[in-house]
Amino acid sequence: MEQHNRFWRIALLAAPLAVFGVFVIWPLVSSFYYSVTDWNGFDPDYQFVGLSNFAKIASDRLFLQAAVNTSLWMAAAIVLPTSLGLLLALLLDSRVLGARVFKSIFYLPICLSAVIVGQIWTWIYQPDWGLLNTVITQVSGEKFKYAWLAKPDTALWSVIVAWSWQQTGLAMVIYLAGLTSIPGDLLEVAEIEGATQWQRFREVVLPLLAPSTVVVVALSVVNSLKGFDILYIMTGGGPFNSSETLAMHMYNESFKKYLMGYGAAISVVLFGVAMAIIGLYFRQLRKVDRIYG
Amino acid sequence: MNQISRRGVLLGSLAIPMLGVGRMASAEGGEVTISHYFTGELGMKAFNEQVAKFTAATGIAMKDSPVGHEDFKTDILVRAAGNSLPDVFSYWAGARVQFIVDSNALAPIDDMWVANGLDAVIAKPVADSATLYNGKRYLVPFNYHYAGMFYNVKVLADAGMTAAPKTWDEFLALCEALKAKGVAPIALGSKNRWPAQFWFDYLLLRTAGPDYRAKLMSGVAKYSDPEVAAALAMWKDLFDKGYFVENANADDWTDASDKVARGEAGMTLMGTWITGYWNGNGLVPAQDYDFFEFPKVKDGVPNAAVGPVDGLVTAANAANPEGAAKFLAFMVSDAGVQAAWANAQGALSANVNVDPASYNAVMQKAAATVAAAEAFAFNYDLATPPPVAEVGLSMFTRFIDDPSQAEAILAQVASDAEAAFKG
Repeated sequence: MEQHNRFWRIALLAAPLAVFGVFVIWPLVSSFYYSVTDWNGFDPDYQFVGLSNFAKIASDRLFLQAAVNTSLWMAAAIVLPTSLGLLLALLLDSRVLGARVFKSIFYLPICLSAVIVGQIWTWIYQPDWGLLNTVITQVSGEKFKYAWLAKPDTALWSVIVAWSWQQTGLAMVIYLAGLTSIPGDLLEVAEIEGATQWQRFREVVLPLLAPSTVVVVALSVVNSLKGFDILYIMTGGGPFNSSETLAMHMYNESFKKYLMGYGAAISVVLFGVAMAIIGLYFRQLRKVDRIYG
Repeated sequence: MNQISRRGVLLGSLAIPMLGVGRMASAEGGEVTISHYFTGELGMKAFNEQVAKFTAATGIAMKDSPVGHEDFKTDILVRAAGNSLPDVFSYWAGARVQFIVDSNALAPIDDMWVANGLDAVIAKPVADSATLYNGKRYLVPFNYHYAGMFYNVKVLADAGMTAAPKTWDEFLALCEALKAKGVAPIALGSKNRWPAQFWFDYLLLRTAGPDYRAKLMSGVAKYSDPEVAAALAMWKDLFDKGYFVENANADDWTDASDKVARGEAGMTLMGTWITGYWNGNGLVPAQDYDFFEFPKVKDGVPNAAVGPVDGLVTAANAANPEGAAKFLAFMVSDAGVQAAWANAQGALSANVNVDPASYNAVMQKAAATVAAAEAFAFNYDLATPPPVAEVGLSMFTRFIDDPSQAEAILAQVASDAEAAFKG
């Protein structure tokens, strides 16, 4: 009987493992392999070029710019949705009329795909008739025609705003769940002891929300690393590469310049960065687990 | 009971790969697979009608997977990388075909070309420039386009234009007249970058000539040359005078076309596919819109026409090469297919048996203009290798964003392009 169960265990595990192997492990191994070749995507006869693709990264001006943009993107993706989500959660946790309706509305963007969010915000930013410029024109009384997504100074930040708009709902929901688990008597005690509202928030609520914060930050980081689609839809990394992140840069080098080998090298670097961040996250998670069990 | 359901699950998981085997089997059953970018405003319905004629004539079924024009550039690479190119696909003649010929991804079609007597069917200038790569034929020209200055007839008449400007001074005077009327003289939608290239192409061709441009495109001449700087300086002059619409980098080519159609702008430098787009929106050729040739700038420079040739090519590892050859031959040889397709897409046919009278008035003029031109040049992103084209296309949008940076931009492009040529 035991033998029989073992067979089924292996058999049933085989299918998902095969899927994981084919769609996750194999592409990963392949990108390591291609990163040391000069493959252009079309030619089956490619050469082994050693580490020259990685050496090229060091002198690639656009890679450096993309690395800076990726750091900005990740920092903003952590700070903006997290703080805004917390703020919304605090507002909605107190008894606001129609809190449920507001919760649903704020959560709604996360249900949309990044492509739809990107398209909505592209319309909002449209210079001639977009919502943003229309509002500015109405308020200032002067025709305002700034092209938010087509200017190198604002393209990346405009996409970050759209991204944060979508991600805030997720942070809000996680914080709302965290807030319900804070015992009311703790806050009451603090109040009796004479703590101000700010002190209660700073000394009681915020520390007790730490597990939620870890989850929110981790999700923000992971989501921001994956954040390719919205950028692709809104700017494609443009104008003239000014809003390129590393993922976007890898895509453009691979698929527009046909430098698949070099693109694979960039993806290997990106993989290393992602692994480092995930490693840090798990360490942090263990720490939080130890404290809050 | 429990075990049966588990077995069912396992069998089910085995059945999924079997579907793939079934698909492969059907591909061998005589059908030809094709992928193309003739979608949306580029005539999907008309293309399908032509494909239906092929199936009716030969009994060979086509398995179609159309992809949007911009996405096609990526999609076909993904399919090549996955070793799953369709038997036949549409592609742009010039440096892009050269790139995949050099990568051994295409099958030569010389036998098919000879067997079907295509020398007598395809106009020689197009055949010479678009079909031959490394001494062999790889592409049949499905149609070609011409880039000209398309304008709103009423708007330009209101600005006092009685005859198309022939010289640069006449062109500048026209722009000035339009500006005085409160209309943006020139619409440009360079969000996807390529619509900007025709300006660089024509300014360089009209000042430095087709031979110099060919050298620049192949990496013999350099972006640091005075010829390139001079062309860019003329372009900058147009920006400085305020002749271009605001925020060109925020608009798509259809947005720019709409601005001309609505009369918010006077003209736009665009390929003849704009006629297909405008006709589809109810504009009447020659009555609502027309075009003139890019004006002459310098004496003694040969008059070149710019445009792309859309071709059909066969993958080197096509599953059905015979069917693919038949499809290529039929689509380019059948004058009925060529005429219907050219008209629907707003393109010109390279088939000499297509009666020019079947075109509308504007397209007849376009055909005559190309025939009279002393040279035909592929537009920038089809004339220079794809990695270099990427550098150049980004240069154009950066220049459009801030023309005052022309010098710095050229210095950067000179080194980037040199690196891209080296690969």
